[in-house]
Amino acid sequence: MRRAAFYVVLAVAAATFLYPFLWMAATTFKSPAEVGALSLLPDQPTLDNYRLMWARAPFGRALLNSMLVATSVTLSVLVFGSAAAYSLARLRFPGRGILNAVTVAVLLVPAQLTLIPMYTLIVQLGWVDSYAALIVPFAFNATAILILRQFFLQVPRSLIDSARLDGMGELRILFTVFWPLSKAPLAMVGIITFMGAWNEVLWPLLVVRDEQLMTLPQLLTVFSLGGGAGPRQLATKLAAAMVLVVPVVVAYTFLQRYFIESMASTGIKG
Amino acid sequence: MANVSFEHVRKDFGTATVVQDFDLQVSDGELVVLVGGSGCGKSTILRMLAGLESVTSGTVRIGEREVTHLPPRERDVAMVFQDYALYPHLTGRQNISLGLRLRKVPKAEIDRRELWAADILELDPFLDRKPKHMSGGQRQRIAMGRAMVREPAVFLFDEPLSNLDAHLRGQMRHEIARMQRRVGTTALYVTHDQMEAMTLGDRLVVLDGGRIQQVGRPIDVYGAPANKFVAGFIGTPSMNFLDGRLERERDGLVFVCDTLRIPLLGERRPDPTVHSGEAVTLGIRPEDLALAGAAGMGTIPGNLFLAEVLGATTHLYVEVGGRRLIAAVPSGPAPPPGGVVSLSIDHSRLHFFAPDGSSLLHDGHA
Repeated sequence: MRRAAFYVVLAVAAATFLYPFLWMAATTFKSPAEVGALSLLPDQPTLDNYRLMWARAPFGRALLNSMLVATSVTLSVLVFGSAAAYSLARLRFPGRGILNAVTVAVLLVPAQLTLIPMYTLIVQLGWVDSYAALIVPFAFNATAILILRQFFLQVPRSLIDSARLDGMGELRILFTVFWPLSKAPLAMVGIITFMGAWNEVLWPLLVVRDEQLMTLPQLLTVFSLGGGAGPRQLATKLAAAMVLVVPVVVAYTFLQRYFIESMASTGIKG
Repeated sequence: MANVSFEHVRKDFGTATVVQDFDLQVSDGELVVLVGGSGCGKSTILRMLAGLESVTSGTVRIGEREVTHLPPRERDVAMVFQDYALYPHLTGRQNISLGLRLRKVPKAEIDRRELWAADILELDPFLDRKPKHMSGGQRQRIAMGRAMVREPAVFLFDEPLSNLDAHLRGQMRHEIARMQRRVGTTALYVTHDQMEAMTLGDRLVVLDGGRIQQVGRPIDVYGAPANKFVAGFIGTPSMNFLDGRLERERDGLVFVCDTLRIPLLGERRPDPTVHSGEAVTLGIRPEDLALAGAAGMGTIPGNLFLAEVLGATTHLYVEVGGRRLIAAVPSGPAPPPGGVVSLSIDHSRLHFFAPDGSSLLHDGHA
């Protein structure tokens, strides 16, 4: 009986979270007359909203831009983050303690505070309206370093010793011994970074004005602001939002096992 | 294969000195065991030889080559670790061959060496399993195989059997001895287990506080320990120690400890420079004590308070004037605990130590 009540509560909670998302998904397939309805099944399903969206702004290009930016940011955060984490966790060198403290301190500085100096820097470098402006500022990440460092500290020392005796250099140890052992934390850092880069709106709005270089959320924001508020426009904007959301949901579905495993093993709350 | 030499090697960690003035020559093909308690510096010495730890001062040589400051991969050594240190994501076979592949050894040669190691160590049944699907003993064999196929100049073993259960430990001890003899590679073996040290080593190096206490064949170290630390460390149960003094009487020397008087009847005597009345510690191995039929000249009377029957041997815990002595005697009918017993001593196997711990034997052993 208690178990049944428990499931009812869970189901209600899940529905509360799921309904808006499902409504959004359903609405993108509805005709303008149906957009205001709360039903989840369109009477006459149509792809018109998607066609209209695609025709009115370069969403295809924006999708590719977003893919490129988010993938590059994620890869570099993983490569540079794990290299930094390995050095801070497993190599002895003067100043290691200070570097560790600085890495933590970086987390205390709100991103909004660095926005203007960073923008000025990008202008000085002549990177406005370039992929570099979208990728480089996010290519290094202190949270990623700390999460990976915490995990790397748990790898037995003898494994590193053994790899060194086998003739491996430090980079090879990192990528051929530590990476295969760290799938869970790497997946977690990867997915958090990818979602962050994928959803970023503010920074692209500042540094990119060329429509051909805009990322998906940026284009969506610009499109929403200028697209009108009628039922047709609403459904079209929701269609664009779906294009933004689906890749992240798919990626999460594939990686959620590692994600949950890593949350449990590192004791870091998301 | 090569000989190994340490010359005046010292290692400091910050302000703490963990190894000092370490001198040792290991001959080609020899198996030398470094033995000592926790923190005696034995593993650090091994790691310095492997290049995994820097040397503060002194020189390390492998063969004719000075390796003091070379990185591990240039030293031609292979190491077997206490926790096996197998790569968890690779199979046994991949673990064994990885070092060779990194050194760009031709495929045919890798296969040949893999077969050779698999044959000697009987690895075949679990070569294609990952470490998590192997038992402790199987993992240790793979780790040994990985060291063997490298065909290194020196094998290093860092407490390789500590994580195994007693039965498997005995078995693997034989395997290591057999493997090392068969391949004939110089080996240094670190352990805190003196049973391993006694049975495996051609020579023992007993360490304490980062210094060598004694180097010698196991039987010599056991029979004639250089000092009280070695005497107490090597041998199970530990040697019995009685603090007292020597007195010269009409019939010869007598060891006096409170009310206990033990005439020194055998050929084993303290150094003649020890004067009557000087403080001396008498050392008696448990197996050199026996139950005497009756109290008499030279026997030690005491109260038996515990008898541990181990099978063939029984350990008798006897209280003598407030001190506890242990006698290891063949199992048989023993007096009940609480009863009075007399212990006889094998006078030909006594040990004497000065107050500073050094051995006072003068019959040429020490």
